[in-house]
Amino acid sequence: MYFYVQSRFSLLTADGQTMEPTVGDLSDPLINHTEGQLFLHEAFKIIVEEVLCKGTDVKEKVCEWKEPEELALLLDLELREKGEQKEKLLQRVRDVAKYSVKTSHPRFFNQQFAGVDYHSLAGRFLSEALNTNLFTYEVAPVFVLMEAEVLRGLRELVGWTEGDGLFCPGGSTSNMYALNLARYRLYPEVKSQGLWSLPRLTIFTSPESHYSVKKGAAFMGFGMDNVIFVKVDDGGHMIPEDLDEKIKLSKSQGAVPHFVSCTSGTTVQGAFDPLDRIADVCDKHKLWLHVDAAWGGSVLFSKKHRHLMKGVNRANSVAWNPHKMLVAGLQCSVLLLKDTTNLLKKCHGANASYLFQQDKFYDVNLDIGDKSVQCSRKVDCLKLWLMWKAVGSTGLEQRVDKAFFHTRYLVEQMKKRDGFQLLREPEFVNVCFWFIPPSLRGKEKNADYQNRLAKVAPVIKERMMKQGTMMVGYQPLGDRVNFFRITILSPLISQKDLDFFLDEIERLGNDV
Amino acid sequence: LSSAYSVPRFTSDPLASAFPAQPGPPRRNAWDGVPLNGSPLDDLAAESFLQRSMSMILEEAVKKATDVRQKVCEWRSPEELKELLDLELRDGGESEAQILERCRDAIRYSVKTTHPHFFNQLYAGLEPYSMVASFITDALKPSLYTYEVSPVFTLMEDAVLRKMVQIVGWEEGDGIFNAGGSMSNMYAMNLARYRDFPEIKELGNSAAARLVVFTSQECHYSISKAAALMGIGTKNVFVVPSDKRGKMIPSALEEQIKSAKSEGAVPFIVNATAGTTVLGAFDPIDEIADICEKYKLWLHVDSVMSHLFSSHRANSVAWNPHKMLMACLQCSVFLIRDKTRLLQRCHSARASYLFQQDKFYDLSYDTGDKSVQCSRKPDAFKFWLMWKALGTRELEQRVDRALAIARSVWGNISDFAWLKPLSNFYFILLPLYLQVAPVIKERMMKKGSMMVGYQPHGGKANFFRMVVISPQVSRQDMDFVLDEIHSLGMDL
Repeated sequence: MYFYVQSRFSLLTADGQTMEPTVGDLSDPLINHTEGQLFLHEAFKIIVEEVLCKGTDVKEKVCEWKEPEELALLLDLELREKGEQKEKLLQRVRDVAKYSVKTSHPRFFNQQFAGVDYHSLAGRFLSEALNTNLFTYEVAPVFVLMEAEVLRGLRELVGWTEGDGLFCPGGSTSNMYALNLARYRLYPEVKSQGLWSLPRLTIFTSPESHYSVKKGAAFMGFGMDNVIFVKVDDGGHMIPEDLDEKIKLSKSQGAVPHFVSCTSGTTVQGAFDPLDRIADVCDKHKLWLHVDAAWGGSVLFSKKHRHLMKGVNRANSVAWNPHKMLVAGLQCSVLLLKDTTNLLKKCHGANASYLFQQDKFYDVNLDIGDKSVQCSRKVDCLKLWLMWKAVGSTGLEQRVDKAFFHTRYLVEQMKKRDGFQLLREPEFVNVCFWFIPPSLRGKEKNADYQNRLAKVAPVIKERMMKQGTMMVGYQPLGDRVNFFRITILSPLISQKDLDFFLDEIERLGNDV
Repeated sequence: LSSAYSVPRFTSDPLASAFPAQPGPPRRNAWDGVPLNGSPLDDLAAESFLQRSMSMILEEAVKKATDVRQKVCEWRSPEELKELLDLELRDGGESEAQILERCRDAIRYSVKTTHPHFFNQLYAGLEPYSMVASFITDALKPSLYTYEVSPVFTLMEDAVLRKMVQIVGWEEGDGIFNAGGSMSNMYAMNLARYRDFPEIKELGNSAAARLVVFTSQECHYSISKAAALMGIGTKNVFVVPSDKRGKMIPSALEEQIKSAKSEGAVPFIVNATAGTTVLGAFDPIDEIADICEKYKLWLHVDSVMSHLFSSHRANSVAWNPHKMLMACLQCSVFLIRDKTRLLQRCHSARASYLFQQDKFYDLSYDTGDKSVQCSRKPDAFKFWLMWKALGTRELEQRVDRALAIARSVWGNISDFAWLKPLSNFYFILLPLYLQVAPVIKERMMKKGSMMVGYQPHGGKANFFRMVVISPQVSRQDMDFVLDEIHSLGMDL
């Protein structure tokens, strides 16, 4: 007999006490799988009804607003010694659905994600059920291969026939990886020696870029002050001539410019930086060009609109978030690289021998875990792959084209109504506008006009949330006071929803 | 499992809106062939697809995957698998039946990490409550940066963090759920750096002298990756030797700190591990804490592997409920003993498009600026629902059970293997040294009977690392594993 089972040992705690575990019979399975699966079954019905049916129904509210203290009481958040019964837990599931914002609702316009795609949803459920990590072929054979294929497909759209890449836990991480790669390419010794003995490295981006560039710079030891902002024009586009100037200035100050992050689809205005001309500047100075296309990358699916990203193939790296315009569902963020020298792995690899053994019985190049800074990494490619298989590139193209068309429609309608003032003609699917209530119309010359205008959006926002009729975001930008930003991307909306949007802003804001 | 869910029809057709039609310009119904009004999906088709895919997921990926009579994995070589899966992405779409078939294939050829004979990694098992919570978050797809977009999950994360701070034994604290234990360890380093040298946030590392990190030779490799990413440099991670049980040697730590200082470097953080990845060792936290206090260093305890234990003297703790408590991936927490909003101050960028200061609710509920991420999934919910369902007592019992099972199989092993004693408590790791591990591994995977990881360690040859981390495993499963290794390796 190979071994025998001994009587239970008494266990020693770290402070030397003995402890007899009261764990019941060790031959019993711990979890009653039948019960667990029944719970899953029941909970799924609630999810379908409350989140998917009601959550996409225009007759239902977008949100059920409650003050934080009130909501905390309603949810009964406290974690206790004893567990609860199934019926109670199902009620909790219902409550969570009820008080959560319905981000798939046709009148949810608040963020850069919206709508629902049922294929990617099934892909998400499946990823959760299989619960695996994407570091080695042995643990995740299907997904290692799938991730590679999805990355290849996305790279093709960028215009690269070869390259590298990875799925990251968010666009912020993708941007950080790009920063790290650029730094490592220039000074490979930084990996082991750190920044201490290196000259001051500088990073260039526009003030309308995503704040993750700044956060990344702080996190990675560059310092936020070494992120140099390049001037933008009125539409929020980086001015290449100013980029050139700023690079020269930085060099003259003894710093080493090493990275330019331009944006395809800025967060607020939806501007697309002129990639070709920026690439010229980067080529001239030999800087790494990163394109943060987290928001706008999906235009690459559209033959009609991909010109917005003309020149993207000249970049070194591209960040793209399919969970935004392609409705893949959080998280789905990609970093694509032009590099074919295995830079990603060299930069990030730690060669942990407990995970990446070199004597495995299959091609160990498939163990891609060392390309990441993460250890455990979720499977985020299945949701995109399944959706892409289901609707095809053509289907995704139609989705993008439709969003542009709806945007044009909304802008046309807005121009016909009093009180709606666009910041400028939108380039993408972000429509930024002020609503001028009747009380302020014609009073632009008043001294306190800007101050009063700034207070309009917050009031309308509060009203819409408390009534739950829709959600749209507002913010200031530079010297422009609070304005609304509606992002039109959900494949579930129609012109009727856009008409409603304008009517509702008027209804909520007319007496402000 | 029957596939008949009786749910109401999807009513996403906006033409069914309650608002009366406005007179206006004639509306185009299509443009270039793209339908503009009405849902792009046939509602019946959407409902049918979802029901059928869910049935299949529950049957194939959940029920069968935990069935000990089924295989753990269906091994195929990469070339073969690529062909089977037909991964290529094309212009045209596919039918519902084809898509369901693809889901089935994805399940079939995936490793069943919830299977009772899956011991390959430091996570395993199936926790149905956390899985339900994952499904809910996937359906709702919220992002956890502001109260307005995620009211429920903001409050839940806060409640879970408070409770965990209590369990660690701190009076006050802060924290955040992260995209993995590696990230939690990075946060610790970032906060420690910021605490000592807040100007580094603006000016960069060069505003300070060369900073150094201390950790044991058995620590997780994320410490090294973090040092590289954060511009500190892997050479500035001083590796403290550990004893033969894998525990950091405190006197060696102190030596190294003094040595670093004499070089002109600035020690700023010590990373202690409670449950190392390979040997399952616990660094002597109290003695290390004494040294940290003496030299005023930040003490971080990487406790991702184990139940929180004796970490109350730490400045920060990293803990992963997705490991021993079986919550679905990702479920990783970073806790910090601080009431000065250090996390917020260290990471904030105050983006005005997200964190407007003139909102109509209490802005302290907008927690997004504590994170380095922007969009963030509400992983706390998985843990909250599970905790509500089971209660603290049951969670503790599960951990105890895992330990008891590990202990219960400690017995006589043949002389070609060597078992490491577990008397410093609380680890659930059975190293079995075998010269022929890679061959046995290949056989077990091709047979699909189980999965156990192996690796070399220190000067020793490959050995199997039997991780009994999932409390769902029973004694029979443990017996099976040892029998199977024996039978697979008998002819070697």
